[in-house]
Amino acid sequence: MIFNTDKQTLTDLNILGKPGADSIYTVFNHTSTRGGAAVLEDMFRYPLAEKSAINNRSGKIRFLQSVDAGFPFSSGLFDAIEGYLAVQDDRTRLSPEGNTLARKFNHLIAADTNFKTVSDGVRSVIEMLHTLQGFFIDMTKMSADHPYLPDIAEMKKLLQDPALELVLQEPAGTKLPYEKVVAYDQLLRFRFRNELGKMLSLIYHLDVYITVANVAAQRKFIFPVALDAGSHHIRLEGVYHPQVPKAVPNTIHITPENNVVFLTGANMAGKSTFMKSLGIAMFLAHMGFPVPAEKMEFAVRDGIYTTINLPDDLSSGSSHFYTEVLRIKKIARELSKARNLLLIFDELFRGTNVKDAYEGTVAVTAAFAERENGVFVISTHITEAGEVLKEQCSNIQFIFLPTRMENNKPVYTYRLAEGITTDRHGMIIIKNEGILDIIGKKKDKNKDV
Amino acid sequence: MSFLADKQTLDDLNIPGRYNNKSIYRIFDNVITGGGRKLLDDMFRYPLTDHLAINERSSIFQYFDKNPAVLPFSGESFSIVENYLTTGAGATMPAAAWNIVYRKLLKTVIRDNSYELLVTGLEKTITLLIAFRDFIYKLAELGAYGPVQEQVEKIRQIFNDRRLLWLRKETDVKNIPLPKLIKYDYQLRTGCLEEMKTVIDIIYQFDVYIAVSTVARTKHFCYASALPKHKNVINISGLFHPSVEHAVPNDISFHPASNVAFLTGANMAGKSTFMKSFGIAVFLSHMGFPVPATEMEFSVKDGLFSTINVPDNLEHGYSHFYAEVLRVKSVAEQVGASKDLVVIFDELFKGTNVKDAYDATLAITAAFSEHTNCFFIISSHIIEVGEALKKEDGSFRFLYLPTVMEGNVPRYTYQLKEGITADRHGMIIIGNEGLIALILKRE
Repeated sequence: MIFNTDKQTLTDLNILGKPGADSIYTVFNHTSTRGGAAVLEDMFRYPLAEKSAINNRSGKIRFLQSVDAGFPFSSGLFDAIEGYLAVQDDRTRLSPEGNTLARKFNHLIAADTNFKTVSDGVRSVIEMLHTLQGFFIDMTKMSADHPYLPDIAEMKKLLQDPALELVLQEPAGTKLPYEKVVAYDQLLRFRFRNELGKMLSLIYHLDVYITVANVAAQRKFIFPVALDAGSHHIRLEGVYHPQVPKAVPNTIHITPENNVVFLTGANMAGKSTFMKSLGIAMFLAHMGFPVPAEKMEFAVRDGIYTTINLPDDLSSGSSHFYTEVLRIKKIARELSKARNLLLIFDELFRGTNVKDAYEGTVAVTAAFAERENGVFVISTHITEAGEVLKEQCSNIQFIFLPTRMENNKPVYTYRLAEGITTDRHGMIIIKNEGILDIIGKKKDKNKDV
Repeated sequence: MSFLADKQTLDDLNIPGRYNNKSIYRIFDNVITGGGRKLLDDMFRYPLTDHLAINERSSIFQYFDKNPAVLPFSGESFSIVENYLTTGAGATMPAAAWNIVYRKLLKTVIRDNSYELLVTGLEKTITLLIAFRDFIYKLAELGAYGPVQEQVEKIRQIFNDRRLLWLRKETDVKNIPLPKLIKYDYQLRTGCLEEMKTVIDIIYQFDVYIAVSTVARTKHFCYASALPKHKNVINISGLFHPSVEHAVPNDISFHPASNVAFLTGANMAGKSTFMKSFGIAVFLSHMGFPVPATEMEFSVKDGLFSTINVPDNLEHGYSHFYAEVLRVKSVAEQVGASKDLVVIFDELFKGTNVKDAYDATLAITAAFSEHTNCFFIISSHIIEVGEALKKEDGSFRFLYLPTVMEGNVPRYTYQLKEGITADRHGMIIIGNEGLIALILKRE
């Protein structure tokens, strides 16, 4: 099954980002090999939607982190191997009869590049296989049973062939005679091409696991536990945004009894950041990756859709409103397919006037509350909507991000609190800016006269 | 002092911009000369704040509106002439002569084309001058050339100059013999250089007058009459938006006893368009330009501020609400500085909760209304603000743009009415799109 998400969501959460710019992908993008980077990107593009697959991957990463495994290969090795294996042209195949005096003589005058490439390739593959053997021994020594063993078994199986065992008996790094190069080239590049390809893919995955394990250790990310989809349960403790310096951690607990989260707070209080942190944690968790939090358990979802920064078409207020309506419509269609989704809406209907936004928010949120197959996080600055929803629905949990006034300046704690905010800072800001006094100036002047 | 209108206002009303198809500038940009365009640019950049100057400029446009005229040459030929006249010949007659002879020599020896260019330039210039002179004389014949009298007199003087009398006799501009060629070239480019510059300047001006008055005639604009500041009044009837096709005209008036118009109506009912039309009319009238209306009189104001599309500045850490607050503050500073202003606010305080939006809109509107020397249009969806303002004994006027429901489909009349409406159609759109039903649907 595929984990559903869309471009808007990836942009909102800054998962892949623009080339060259920071994103969640760049947090993890420290693989040793180029193949590893490609595998990592694939994992980001296709998160998992099955509990076993998620727990499996996260188990491997967690294990590799626990044994403090290092990537045993030198990173340049794979560029040589990839280049070597990529050439499948029969004309480059060496022939056993080719080792003539003429070739040797020619080689003295000008290097035989074809032979050199092939023999370098063969040597690199042999080196890789040797390192792999060593790695196998290290890994099997760790413990009798661990999550990475299946991968090792798979790799070993690929090597189970008398012909390949012969290759392995060759010591690493030695110069091979012509006949052996010819024979091994035939084996590695042609006969066992598919096996070697699979092997490389497994090694690239290993690279990703080790890299992610290192990032997790460095950044103190934790490994979430995936639960059955049916439990509709998310418990996130100390979740924070990985790209915000000194981010304040927050805790949220979503159950089927309160699967709609209604978040209020002033505009700068950190609503969007919290929603993004939640979205990122859930996204990473569905990749089987470690997450920026203290503890996490989650029921597997079929998809995430966020609406945080809907592209603004400010030239006409109504069209922005209409864009939002269409977006909700699209998501509602997904919902009606009985998919288990996580839906995040920041500032629902902010493109229209307060009154319309108020009515729209109430109507849409109340309708969402009827859907037990969704987990909804909805933020708004229209606190009045919350009061009405409190009366209407029983499965909404109300949280807010508080604003404290200190010396008439708003101070934000970024720490979630339960309830609906009663902060009414609109008029305070207007008073702080002294607008009414500025307007009133002339009146006073007239009085003086 | 120039008329105040900041970038936000100009953007809201879409006034400047030669490369912007829908801008107001483009409507008038039918000039054919580069200098005329520069003049037009300046008029757009610096609207006037003196009612006499405004009426004077407006009367010139009206004159050309009544006496339709077309410059007797094309933009291309004018630019050739302009180029010819401004390059300058020799400082003395012999120098100019040598210049021509030298080119003629070059032509025969190395087939250089500069001699021909010079002769064409001269010929075109003579043709154009004759045509323009006739054009001016025709205006003069019409007699009542009142507002452009000064320019017409200047042109007549120049053509009566002893040094340029030959212009009258020259009818065949082709094949001018060399001695005459030398003489004319010297007179036009050196002898009468100042006079020629004056002619060019006047052509620029006439270019603008004709372009603007033609727009007024074809688009059925009217000429606003400017009143001195202390009259403190704006009356417009038949106001429409120049870029909207089949725009519905509306009337609006302001005076100290009714200086705040509180406008309500649904999103698509035409609030923004109406407010923009008003802003555009105020701006154009202060330029002395024709306005999109059937009738308009106004007392001169110091500036115009509109807040129709406040850009979000979330990247800069401002919330939408704060951006709005800062905008209101900057306008308040101008109002507080005892300036006579026209202020347009469309749907203030979107980025906050209903209660705050209500409080803020009410407080700001009430405070502004005390400045009877300023005129305000404030639109809002919070009809409660209107009800509250009604109770106050203020100089408010309540207007709305109606929505007529035909079944489930809203239709808009775009015709202003007195009163307050609770029309909103956010929920209608949500309903029409079947949003709620879709969310609740199960497959």
